[in-house]
Amino acid sequence: MNSIIIVQMAVSGAMMGLVYALIAYGFQLTFSTSKSINFGQGELVMLSAFFSLTLLNWGVPYWLMVPGGLLFGVILGLAVERAGVRLALEQKSEGWILLTIIIGLLGFSAAENIWGRDDRPFPTPISSDALHFFGISITPLEISVAVGVFAVMGLIELFKRKTLLGKAFEAVSADRDAAELMGISATRTVMLSYGLSGMVAAMAGILVSPITTVGPTMASALILKAFSVAVVAGLESGFGVVIVGIFLGALESLTSFYLGSGWREAPGLILLILALAVRPNGIFGKASIRKV
Amino acid sequence: MLVVENLHAGYGTSKVLTGASLKVAKGKVVALIGANGAGKTTTMRAISGMLKPDQGRVLLDGKPVQGQDASRIARLGLAHAPEGRKVFGPLSTEDNLLLGAYSRLPLFFGFRAKSLQDLERVYELFPLLKERRMQTSGTLSGGEQQMLAIGRALMANPKIMLLDEPSMGLAPVIVQEVFKTIRRLKAAGLTLLLVEQFAKSALEVADYAYVMERGRIVAEGEPAELQKDERVLAAYLG
Amino acid sequence: MLKRLLLIRGAEIVAFTLLATIPLVVSNSYVLGLLTLLAIYGILLIGLDVTVGYLGQVNLAHAAFLGLGAYGAGLSVSLLGFGMLSALAVSMLIGLVLGGLLAFPALRLEGPQFALATLSFMALSATVLNEWESLTFGAQGLTVSRPALFAHAVNAQGFYWLCLIFLALVWMAMRNLLSSQWGRAFEALRDSPIATDAMGIGTYRHKVIGFALGSALGSLAGGLYAFNFQYLQPLSFTYELMVILLLGVVLGGRKSLWGAFFGASLVALLPNLLSNRLLFEIISAVGLLAALFAGIRGLIKKTTRPFQAIAPIIALGMLVVGGILVKNTEDWRKGIFALMLFSVVVGLPEGLMGFAARFLTRLFRIDPPALPPAAALDTVLPAKVQDIGPLLQLEGLKRYFGGVKAVDGVSITVQAGQIHGLIGPNGSGKSTAVNVISGLYAPTTGKMMLHGKALPMGLFNVARAGVSRTFQNLQLFSELSAMDNVMVALKGVYRTPLPLVLLGLAKGEEKRAQADALALLELVGLRPHARISAKDLTYGDQRFLEIARALARKPELLILDEPAAGLALPDVNKLVEIIRRIHQRGITIILIEHHMDVVSELCDVVTVLDGGKVIAEGSAEEVKRDPKVIEAYLGTTNETAAMTVVK
Repeated sequence: MNSIIIVQMAVSGAMMGLVYALIAYGFQLTFSTSKSINFGQGELVMLSAFFSLTLLNWGVPYWLMVPGGLLFGVILGLAVERAGVRLALEQKSEGWILLTIIIGLLGFSAAENIWGRDDRPFPTPISSDALHFFGISITPLEISVAVGVFAVMGLIELFKRKTLLGKAFEAVSADRDAAELMGISATRTVMLSYGLSGMVAAMAGILVSPITTVGPTMASALILKAFSVAVVAGLESGFGVVIVGIFLGALESLTSFYLGSGWREAPGLILLILALAVRPNGIFGKASIRKV
Repeated sequence: MLVVENLHAGYGTSKVLTGASLKVAKGKVVALIGANGAGKTTTMRAISGMLKPDQGRVLLDGKPVQGQDASRIARLGLAHAPEGRKVFGPLSTEDNLLLGAYSRLPLFFGFRAKSLQDLERVYELFPLLKERRMQTSGTLSGGEQQMLAIGRALMANPKIMLLDEPSMGLAPVIVQEVFKTIRRLKAAGLTLLLVEQFAKSALEVADYAYVMERGRIVAEGEPAELQKDERVLAAYLG
Repeated sequence: MLKRLLLIRGAEIVAFTLLATIPLVVSNSYVLGLLTLLAIYGILLIGLDVTVGYLGQVNLAHAAFLGLGAYGAGLSVSLLGFGMLSALAVSMLIGLVLGGLLAFPALRLEGPQFALATLSFMALSATVLNEWESLTFGAQGLTVSRPALFAHAVNAQGFYWLCLIFLALVWMAMRNLLSSQWGRAFEALRDSPIATDAMGIGTYRHKVIGFALGSALGSLAGGLYAFNFQYLQPLSFTYELMVILLLGVVLGGRKSLWGAFFGASLVALLPNLLSNRLLFEIISAVGLLAALFAGIRGLIKKTTRPFQAIAPIIALGMLVVGGILVKNTEDWRKGIFALMLFSVVVGLPEGLMGFAARFLTRLFRIDPPALPPAAALDTVLPAKVQDIGPLLQLEGLKRYFGGVKAVDGVSITVQAGQIHGLIGPNGSGKSTAVNVISGLYAPTTGKMMLHGKALPMGLFNVARAGVSRTFQNLQLFSELSAMDNVMVALKGVYRTPLPLVLLGLAKGEEKRAQADALALLELVGLRPHARISAKDLTYGDQRFLEIARALARKPELLILDEPAAGLALPDVNKLVEIIRRIHQRGITIILIEHHMDVVSELCDVVTVLDGGKVIAEGSAEEVKRDPKVIEAYLGTTNETAAMTVVK
């Protein structure tokens, strides 16, 4: 009996873990082109979720709301790049860390005042009646999260591998100068990566909202774990974030079962600090070469 | 085709170029030789936009391009195969080549079909690359990477190609191979600006040459005349 | 000298006296509360400035250290019955230990990863404070009573003075630290971590200790915070506070004690600013006008980029318009902080103090203190007795990068007391070889021995073993003066332990270090430029400065990586002269060079590399005549033709 509970906890934890993986994947997208990430990514998740909820309240059907929400995420991602990242990258400074934190804070404040501080339910046509497999119950809602995560990541990976624009994207991450010599504008590629990263954040918001409800603080715990996943897995491997995400999701679900739900954040954070101590470039990351 | 006038450029406080001027006519191979640290590579970088010149003009087909982004200049038909080759290590050989034609191909689909002819042309020139087409380019040997860098630049169908130190770090046999390729490209009518530390080999293939010293051109002329010049001798062993 | 003392120390004394006397004149408990907070935040921000300013890392864990220090002090009073000072000592210790523990893994990282690690630490400590209810009472909060100081109860006024005394002590200790070798090392590692390691200073060690110190100040401030408010809640020490603290440091001005102080007054006043509508509107309007003025001026003079000029105007414009539209500014506090911080980070990156400093230094020109006379070169760099035999032996050294064999089986023996030339065409593996020797790259395979013992791994350890180097692409500490560049690398001068440095007892060795550095600058002809910052030196002088800096390590083996690259002819001659003088002191030199005349003039032995392999070795004349060398340099054309060209 006990073992079934453990497996059950692990499985539902793993589903949440996929959401962390998706957000972490958003970090990888921008890191690969510009060695920068949006520290306010959690606010992007939250704002897109609120916006999608508003679309639903306006009577937009669910399946039309999804592209609308994603588009909103793209716009936010582009705005962050323009206001917070581009100048710092041009000056080769790390000012973007501070600036993206600040822009996130501004977004948070705006959400608080536009949509209020309360958590709201997010309606979805997907059922949350449990299905049973081998004594383990999974809801279609949880399955939809998994499907959504893999669909988005799969599409983006396909884009990177199969289209020329996607290859250009990889060229910029491999060697920015050489890519410029091929006629690939690095600035535009960085823009594109922030747009995609915003879209990924919006997708995460839409997927997770029916489970967590929508509120200004909905993403603050989520984002910390996504950071952990990104750092533990390394900021290069898409495969790595999925593995680490699933592992972390399961781990924290078990932690909260045994130690109480307040401690659920702890394993991710400890894992992160430990991983940094052992493998600073992440488990799936490559060691970098210092140049003179 | 390419005119460079009074170019000044450098990195931070170190001013490497102090007024370099040169010309490359259509269909000619022009060599730029000089000792290490004379500013040859910096000249190339300043022309292709990898480095923003402090002063001076770069005219491509009569239009000023100095100070523009490298990607803009590349789209105008200038292909630069940089020093150290700089292939996209994680990508396959063929992807590297396809990216060489980036500015001429559709961005999403059908780019492979459209580039088949150009790919074949490059593979004909470098059969070895065809064998290695699916291999990650970072694992190629130095010589293979150099061929890939040249092939990648050719894929753009450039009006002019800048080729920077193609022999760098290569074994003598491979260097011979590289110069054979350059001769074939010359025969095919490619306009080429070549920077080379092996002055002798460079002079053999070039139609015209410039000698650089401490950031400016100190001598120029047909290779036959230049070989008699003392300053050229200085350029050999630095 | 007197003027200098009056202006700099005078301003400090006036400020602290003023602060100390205010409670005697104004007996308003609200003002007293603000002043106490100012002193506490002052300590807190000075601590934060160590990482954010001096180490140049975005540190998001400082609010957590404030919280941990506060709880530490509070609990040691309520559970252990400690007095004021011992409780504060406990909180400081917590910061020092936990800061050190966090720094060990975290400071192996750069930039974003470091920020992430500290962010996680903050979240972790918030979780612990919240969930360890048996100790902290969790979200209920912890009530703290202010303990006695030497068995005397402390009232609000007394506590303020105590805080002020702590601020003054911290201020002085930091000033001592920053004007010592430690301050220079902090500056150096931000400019070039590679050179910091290669000069045997130890990037990592300084970062960890700096971070631990800064964290200790944060938790000391936490202890004072606990005794000030006498009630603690985990929620107070989170993200929002962190953002405000960063606002304080950035707006005040990084790398400045005064900046931290101004930042602290801002952080203390900010909540009041938001509750007073009129004040808020005035300040946002003034801010907008300033941004407009600075932005337009910058655009016309082309000193700023368009974005840098326009973005703050938009942000502050939003603040002004929002101030009119919004009913309750308190609701928008996060947004208001965000807009203010955004404008400052983009528009005024050096902060108020940095901005003011430009004008103040123009107004009051203060001459730097006089330099001591240069030490005798013989005491700084005693001429060594020539020992004979091999100093450095390389056997079968290889280093591959992916498929590229940069160094492919090199065996070289460098004899003690010789100048050993290393030449070869571009890409022949010379630079990679010296990068492997100096520890920047680990060898793929092969043996390296110094004095018959295996060479240690890593830049720092190799440097400590007595190998010093210069860099082909200059790696100077560009913000430091020429003299400081040499001083920071000096070996065997700095012996005062850190606690004594904080007490200001390192002044004597500082003088000695200056004298030694001047002697080395004299050797390379830079004595007159001792005070000029490295980035403002001419290119040639920068090259000479790197040599002087490398000599400060008092090396047995000096590696010069293309010292003549880019030098004009008179400078090349000067360089040859300098290398000769160094050689006369018995230092073994490896010289990588392209200028053949330099090599033939100086080198006892020359090794020629090509394609990662040794192709010839011998005296300069022998090597020059070697057909393989001629071929490597001239390309693979027929040999007789090549011979005729070289003669």
